[in-house]
Amino acid sequence: MRDDIHERALQLVDKRQVEGLSAEEHNGLEAHLESCSQCRKQGSETEQALRALRLALPQFDPTLVRTTQMRARIRACELIENAARMRALWISCTLSWVLGVVSAPLLWWGFEWIGHRWAISRAVWMTGFALSWVAPAVVAAAVIAWRQARGSSVTEPR
Amino acid sequence: MGLATCWFMSTVEREAGEVARGLRRRDPSLIDDLIQQYQYRLFRYLLMLTGSREEAEDLFQETWIRVLEKGHQYQQRWKFETWLFTIARHLAIDFIRRRQPQSLDALLQPTGANRPLELADTTSSSAFDQAFQGEEAASVATALRHLPPSYREVLTLRFHEDMELEEIARVVDSPLSTVKSRLYRGLAMLREWLKDISA
Repeated sequence: MRDDIHERALQLVDKRQVEGLSAEEHNGLEAHLESCSQCRKQGSETEQALRALRLALPQFDPTLVRTTQMRARIRACELIENAARMRALWISCTLSWVLGVVSAPLLWWGFEWIGHRWAISRAVWMTGFALSWVAPAVVAAAVIAWRQARGSSVTEPR
Repeated sequence: MGLATCWFMSTVEREAGEVARGLRRRDPSLIDDLIQQYQYRLFRYLLMLTGSREEAEDLFQETWIRVLEKGHQYQQRWKFETWLFTIARHLAIDFIRRRQPQSLDALLQPTGANRPLELADTTSSSAFDQAFQGEEAASVATALRHLPPSYREVLTLRFHEDMELEEIARVVDSPLSTVKSRLYRGLAMLREWLKDISA
């Protein structure tokens, strides 16, 4: 029974640091610590351990901050430039899509007229119409892929 | 008392709002200030997590680059340090995964053969002893070397950062009960090691 009291007191010693105690628990613990030197010792050891932990400051290399700040500034510039480039790309994609949709009936009419004029089969002029729609996107994708391949071959270590 | 709390909360929210807006703009001077402000705290956390000075320095830089890249995701209702430490922790876990591929469960286990989140050889005297100076700090460094990284992590968040238990649970992405048990065990181990060293 006595061991239970001490065990409970030692649990409360740790709980005081980790979670905090209710007023009732605090009063009970204080009363016990006043009369029990063994638990009081454990309480002071816990406080000493935490005080030592709090006071133990790691050495810090001041150049690390400067290096990090410089890297962050460079990266910030890159990200801002990329964002501007992406904004321009999105605007041109949207414009291109709108113009494509608006001009589609005219283009269709043009291909149909050419088909009748030179007696080209329906399948051929319709394929021509479809190609004229996808060709810009295919060319743009090819250019991007070529530029990326060129960029990676330039940055690759020899 | 209520008024003071309200004033404090509104000040904290206003500051978090300024940080959120600055991060969305990728404001370099804000990043400079944040690096300056959180330098010791972030480095100490990473050192506790990794047990290696070199890894902590690398991760320190990577964390700030990631803060810059993911800044638009930060919301002012979060405390900045909680978000910062979460990013740092994810980077540390990614780093360990790349070096020693294993499951996330294994990484987060506080005990076991793999000594999870252990980047450096913590049985040698180099990792913490190089980082901490002074007689008492040397004792703490020795004691810390013998603690599992997940215990060191919660100890530093609770007793260095004074974080609430719920915030710690959010940072380490674990249930509250796990955080408490790690804190109790970590505290007991730290006390025992310091007692042994001083004896």
